[in-house]
Amino acid sequence: MYDPIAEGLSRGWRHIDASTLTTDQEFETDVVIIGTGAGGGIAAELLTQAGFKVLMLEHGAFYSSSDFRQQERWAYPQLYQDGAGRKTKDQAISILQGRTVGGSTTVNWTTSIRTPANTLKYWEQEFGLDFASTGALEPFLDLATGRLNISEWQLTPNHNNGMLQRGCQTLGWEYTVIHRNVKGCANTGYCGMGCPLNAKQSMLVTTIPAALDAGATLISRVSARELVWRGDQIQELWAVPVDLHFQTDPRLKIRIRARHYILAGGAMNSPALLLRSKVQDPSGRLGKHTYLHPSVISGAVFDEPVYGNQGAPQSIYSDQFVWPEPEKIGFKLEVPPLHPVLMASKLTGMAESHADLMRQFNHLQVVIALLRDGFHPDAQGGAVQLDGHGEPQLDYPLTDYVWDGVRRAYLAMAELQFAAGASAVLPIHHDAHLYQSWSQAKAAIAELPLQRYRATLASAHVMGGCNMSADPATGVVDSFGRHQQLKNLTICDGSILPSSLGANPQLTIYALSWRICGELIKNLSV
Amino acid sequence: MQRRQFIMLGLGTGVSLSLGLTLYPVLRNTEQSRTDAATLVLDALLPALLHGALPVEAAAQQAALRRSREAVLQFLPYLPRTQQAELQQLFLLLQQRLGQLALTGHWLSLNELPVGQRLQLLNSWRDSYLATLQQAYHGLRELLYGAYYGQPQHWPALKHQPLEFNPYV
Repeated sequence: MYDPIAEGLSRGWRHIDASTLTTDQEFETDVVIIGTGAGGGIAAELLTQAGFKVLMLEHGAFYSSSDFRQQERWAYPQLYQDGAGRKTKDQAISILQGRTVGGSTTVNWTTSIRTPANTLKYWEQEFGLDFASTGALEPFLDLATGRLNISEWQLTPNHNNGMLQRGCQTLGWEYTVIHRNVKGCANTGYCGMGCPLNAKQSMLVTTIPAALDAGATLISRVSARELVWRGDQIQELWAVPVDLHFQTDPRLKIRIRARHYILAGGAMNSPALLLRSKVQDPSGRLGKHTYLHPSVISGAVFDEPVYGNQGAPQSIYSDQFVWPEPEKIGFKLEVPPLHPVLMASKLTGMAESHADLMRQFNHLQVVIALLRDGFHPDAQGGAVQLDGHGEPQLDYPLTDYVWDGVRRAYLAMAELQFAAGASAVLPIHHDAHLYQSWSQAKAAIAELPLQRYRATLASAHVMGGCNMSADPATGVVDSFGRHQQLKNLTICDGSILPSSLGANPQLTIYALSWRICGELIKNLSV
Repeated sequence: MQRRQFIMLGLGTGVSLSLGLTLYPVLRNTEQSRTDAATLVLDALLPALLHGALPVEAAAQQAALRRSREAVLQFLPYLPRTQQAELQQLFLLLQQRLGQLALTGHWLSLNELPVGQRLQLLNSWRDSYLATLQQAYHGLRELLYGAYYGQPQHWPALKHQPLEFNPYV
């Protein structure tokens, strides 16, 4: 099967696997890009094509379609941050983030949504970012859409998504067919384990190969540990290899000097590097206001088979509840792919009750509600802190305002699933049971204790921690990702978002990064 | 305060003091002792958690348990070092008499308890007022279920037959 990475390497791409190094290393370059996800990938292509000498760093491995195994026991430890075991500091919310070349774009579910107009309006009101009134982001959303072949999914949704669609149709709720960044997708359903067919237009198979073809260098299995700075300039970056389990391995040091530094390690990792580097933080916002789209889960049993592991993982969403009355947190309705580990680890109960549910695996349908955090004083997100090993931990408080959204989300999802024809619904909450009717579920959900560890919460969208703002007093970077204190540092990744989006973030990050790097190229070329 | 001290203090004040004990044992903490402790605890908890899911035939059941235990042990090094340390500490505590008493309320070792009592123990952690015990419940549960259902040998019961482009044995 065609493998563009293997072919590129055979053509002479410059790639170094840092875990194989045996002595200290030094590199000089025009631009070093820390992280190869949505932001780093776009930056690598644009800067290389503009003629700059580019060095890309990635904590994860340089895997390709030949390496990807369609099993969670391989994919989670090899492709995800902390083996897909990342959690908030209190362990109340699971966090899925990619950690491989291509970052989360290599493992995401391909959902590509333009930045919601309401979000841009909020950014303008609160942070002076004028994207809403000037339309300044639109051309870059268009560019990313074209580059990554983003278009509306034309095939029939799989049954998991189909039930979401059917429920919305029955209730008269809004729903939308999702746009996906795919080319030649065979509708297999393994997006979350790395596309085996290179159909997903992730950074792994688009911008990073383009950058490598144009002469960029990639170092994989390397962890950026500290930016050494003086005054308003970064002088050099220190990094170390990681071992086969992706743990930092300080047996040797890698020093990188660059004219300009681009930080694109993703939310949590980018602020963590700045915190380790003790970078000045006059706004007091570094690492703060980190958002998750905390996601509430509802399972349902259908008499007909659902086969939620097959087909495009996400092809329908509903924005029926994203922008409700201003004093309540909104939520977006989507579905996740249903694979055995993901399902087993989230289903509640133990022993026979858990085994009984798992035996109905092919008849289970799951809806998730992504809470739109960051738009209200009582949903100001979490704070990235460093643990004893210098690694990020997210302290994310759950407020009554958020819990109110959790309850409303359980109710909406149960109503929808019964409307779609479910024979029973199971809110994923440790005090909930299988409910046989909407009225029974409604009454039970009203009484569920809403507190951490009882409600199962998850996140696949980490945002903020180095937020953009027109005013240095309320942001870590400006609208072009320029760090407010360090003049040769630009940040372009999910960490610069000033709130959550109320939508899956990849397309917004592509567009912002495109805009940021265009400006950076102009400035560096002077 | 280090996380490890915090857990010890949490357990010490929340559980063992109520039993009239001071819980601050000197833990053996070598690589081998950590693996031994993890193995002992996993071998005790896996049959309880997977009750109803495991194959009925004895040899197949033992093979499934062995596969799941090995899968957990192979996965642990991918977790953040802080999380690894917390889990190792939990495993070490659970294999020690005093720790066991504090955490389980029984002098009997975990694998001497009937399966029903092991499940009661896990439920008591789930419903504990101590965050550390609730974290232990959820952390172990996800780890152990993930390990079992990650193995293709356990998928026939689910009637799960995924596509496989690159075989993985």
